[in-house]
Amino acid sequence: MGVRPGRALLATTLLGSLVAMSACGGGAAGSASGDVTLIVKTFSQFGYDELYEEYEASHPGIKIKEENIGKLGDYTPKLQQWLATGKGAGDVVAIEEGILSQFMAKPDQFVNLLDHGAEELSGNFLPWKWQQASTPDGSKVVGLGTDVGAQGMCYRKDLFEAAGLPTDREAVGALWPTWDKYLETGKLFKSRRPDIGFYDSTGSVYLNMLMQSGDHTYYDASNKLVIDSNTAVRTTWNASIDMVKAGLSANIEQWSPQWNAGFKNGTFATIPCPSWMLGTIEKQAGPENKGKWDVTRVPGDGAVRGGSFLAVPTQSTHQKEAAELAKFLTSAKGQTAAFKAKNNFPSSPQAIDDPAVRDFKNPYFNDAPVGKIFGDSVKALKPVYLGPDNNAIGDRVGNALLAVEQGKLQPDEAWAKAVDDAKRLTK
Amino acid sequence: MVDLKQRPVARKAAGRTPPERPRLRDRVSRVEVRWSPYLFIAPFFVIFAVFGLFPLVYTAWVSLHDWDITGAGAFVGLDNYVTLFADPDFWNSVYNTVGMLVLATVPQLLMALVLASLLNQRLRAVTFFRMGVLLPIVTSVAAVGIVFSQIFDRDAGMVNGLLGLVNVDAVDWRADKWSSWTAISTMVNWRWTGYNSLIYLAAMQAIPRDLYEAATVDGAGKIRQFWSITVPNIRPAIVFTVVMSTIAGMQLFTEPLIFGQGSFAISGGSLRQFQTVSMYMFEKAFRDFDYGYGSAVAWMIFLLITLLGVVNFLITRRSR
Amino acid sequence: MITRKTQPLLYATLLVGIVLSAFPLYWLFVVATRSNDVVGDWPPPLAPGENLWDNLGRLFAAEDANFLLGMGNSLLTSAVVTVSVVFFSSLAGFAFAKLKFRGRNGLLLVILATMMIPVQMGIIPLYMIMVELGWQNRMEAIVVPALVSAFGVFLMRQYAEQAVPDELIEAARIDGCSTFRIFWSIVLPALRPGAAVLALTTFMGTWNEFLWPLAVLEADNPTVQFSLSQLSTTYYTDYTLMFTGALVATVPLLLVFIAFGRQIIGGIMEGAVKA
Repeated sequence: MGVRPGRALLATTLLGSLVAMSACGGGAAGSASGDVTLIVKTFSQFGYDELYEEYEASHPGIKIKEENIGKLGDYTPKLQQWLATGKGAGDVVAIEEGILSQFMAKPDQFVNLLDHGAEELSGNFLPWKWQQASTPDGSKVVGLGTDVGAQGMCYRKDLFEAAGLPTDREAVGALWPTWDKYLETGKLFKSRRPDIGFYDSTGSVYLNMLMQSGDHTYYDASNKLVIDSNTAVRTTWNASIDMVKAGLSANIEQWSPQWNAGFKNGTFATIPCPSWMLGTIEKQAGPENKGKWDVTRVPGDGAVRGGSFLAVPTQSTHQKEAAELAKFLTSAKGQTAAFKAKNNFPSSPQAIDDPAVRDFKNPYFNDAPVGKIFGDSVKALKPVYLGPDNNAIGDRVGNALLAVEQGKLQPDEAWAKAVDDAKRLTK
Repeated sequence: MVDLKQRPVARKAAGRTPPERPRLRDRVSRVEVRWSPYLFIAPFFVIFAVFGLFPLVYTAWVSLHDWDITGAGAFVGLDNYVTLFADPDFWNSVYNTVGMLVLATVPQLLMALVLASLLNQRLRAVTFFRMGVLLPIVTSVAAVGIVFSQIFDRDAGMVNGLLGLVNVDAVDWRADKWSSWTAISTMVNWRWTGYNSLIYLAAMQAIPRDLYEAATVDGAGKIRQFWSITVPNIRPAIVFTVVMSTIAGMQLFTEPLIFGQGSFAISGGSLRQFQTVSMYMFEKAFRDFDYGYGSAVAWMIFLLITLLGVVNFLITRRSR
Repeated sequence: MITRKTQPLLYATLLVGIVLSAFPLYWLFVVATRSNDVVGDWPPPLAPGENLWDNLGRLFAAEDANFLLGMGNSLLTSAVVTVSVVFFSSLAGFAFAKLKFRGRNGLLLVILATMMIPVQMGIIPLYMIMVELGWQNRMEAIVVPALVSAFGVFLMRQYAEQAVPDELIEAARIDGCSTFRIFWSIVLPALRPGAAVLALTTFMGTWNEFLWPLAVLEADNPTVQFSLSQLSTTYYTDYTLMFTGALVATVPLLLVFIAFGRQIIGGIMEGAVKA
């Protein structure tokens, strides 16, 4: 019997070659003809498929490949990883508004779009949307706006009727010119239908009110944390607490299975709804509830929640072509197409006034003129400055509200905790 | 070729008087005996050095920096660790992790022991039963999370439904530590009890039957036999499962994440009732984009588990 | 031996255990056969509905999910990783349990320690390595780091310690067997039940791996868990589709389980008869 210490080594080598053979897909970009392949990184749904085809047709030599990640929560760690390692971000990346604020303090990972003729486009975007992706001195533009989370208020007609409230969308909108009136309507509703929540969860109502309460929230324009000195935040908090105390909330967390079921079962009567949420409601409530949900104006003067930008990372090897593509996708025409494809509400005034958007009615919601409702909401809005850790602080305030809803903390304790958390977060 | 299995004893006897052998071969064989163990463990260490050690070292380096979403920032020395030691959220997550570790490990291993000894009996349809208890591990964690989130739901969950039948008020499972820990530990226990019982069963099968027969002759009862024969004889398997459950428990991540709801699920409840250390690390590194701080948390987890591991190791060596 | 009186109790206990084990899987199936609005209903549905084919159709048609490719990729990676892990773990586990060499305990501690590195943290440094190797969006990135497993080494070490008698190894040595030969013809067969357990868990573990594939792959070349996550998007949750996906993703595991589970259990029983 011979000595064969080499066997293990042989096995390793064999296995290694086996692995090498198992390579699949993901081949090199570009092809022999010298084409440029632009990689666009997106999350959720941007509705660009037809636009890509059109762009490829009008720009010979350009190929576009979209790499999409379903969840924003899965997308952001990847974005962080691409930027930290300097590889993988592709040529055009989608950036959500809350994450964009992280980059604005240190925008050197992204191409200045002003170098690629973006300047003349500023009129194509709502001014505050343009501002959000520009450095304070205006010398650099990091991203071009795509959609905005234009807000409306969705409500269940049948539940309103059962509570003896008006059901016509004009009349319902007239019930709540302000959030105070919304609270009063809620109390009235609860006195008649105590078993049903007036809205789903306090967090989203809070966020809506906050975005209407001034030109800044947790940070001032110099990125100083002002959560405890900005009275607007505290006022909004108190208003939210009043709603909790009035028992308006169904205490159902957004994006949970019960929340989905709530649309069908009618566990809550209203919900502040960004335009993109209409698709969710339609799907969850199901065809049997067609016409039960309707949309009207949101209390206060317009509101937005969420919205995204397209940016070109400096690691792209085709920055010029990428910038051109980003400009095309975010043009009024591109935004209108995205709205038609996936309900992403445009951030371009021209697109908002485009009849295709303006006159759009949603058949599931009793033919509600959603194009007009959301368009009015967006235009009425004043810009709000969000600081670097805006999202993280918002998470913590939301948790504090939830703890009050769960009866785990008194309102004052919860507020103190939220402030304390915010301060620790920003050190 | 020598048939080893047939005549081991004879060969052993013959070995005492060394037969004449060529010198070279003798030397080669001595070298072989001395070095082959290293060769056998080399694949592990080579691959580990590349794909395990580097991340560890890199994480240590990052933990000394102030990182943001765009990449490395200033060198800050041990600042992240100093902050960490005074960070109540971190210690809360350590507390949660250890609490759920105990809730998930102790009942699980006891149940697995009982199950294994039941399966070790003469049974009809033995394959059916053995495979049946193993079923949970084919279910993906994601599916487990979704199913159990429904089971433990406040408004429409099955557990609350059953509690309602006996007039117990519905429990808001996510609102308290005890309730959320119970729900999450149930997921872990459900998934791994059968698996651990299989490991025990495999070990029990290797115990010579005559030990039991002798004990029966001596008049020892079933339970007595279980504690004085079965348990000592499957000690390596028990040590293994304890160590593995500890390590897995310290890294508990997916179950509580899926159990939590809403867009800030990583916080593990409104007051971080069920946030584990791994979740806290992930939150800091990938949600608050404080990768440096997250890396410091990672190293603390590493040190904590190592501490537990060393304690485990020492105890098992001592009792050998 | 169990007496006749305790027999029914034993079976009853085991049956309860089986029902508890199987229920969540069954429920997965029930929801997968229903339409999306069923989640959150009270009382929850306990009987299958009629929407399975419809749901399956939607599953395989779901854009961006690439479900079939994801299944194929997962089968491939899980199989390769399993073979490799079982082989190398047995080899190293045998060395740690039965061979004497300098630094044995220290190296074993190192292996134990490597299990303690929180996996989530490795994402960025591992990704950096993959960038260097050019393995982004390639299956090598999934397979190669997983070729060995500290867990496996430890499991096989614990198993080998009790399952392989020292005398047998000694005798083989005296016969002039090389160490690898001893491993191959004596140790490996004795380790088979333990190796089967390791194979099963490794396969399942690789199949269920989520965070790392998500970090290094793209949606056009996913693993099955990646595909599953693609099914639900940020602003949109379709639970039935996810359940259907989870069900379909579980079927290959069930098949592997039925095929190998019998073998594992058969192997254990064989051992029992012999001992």
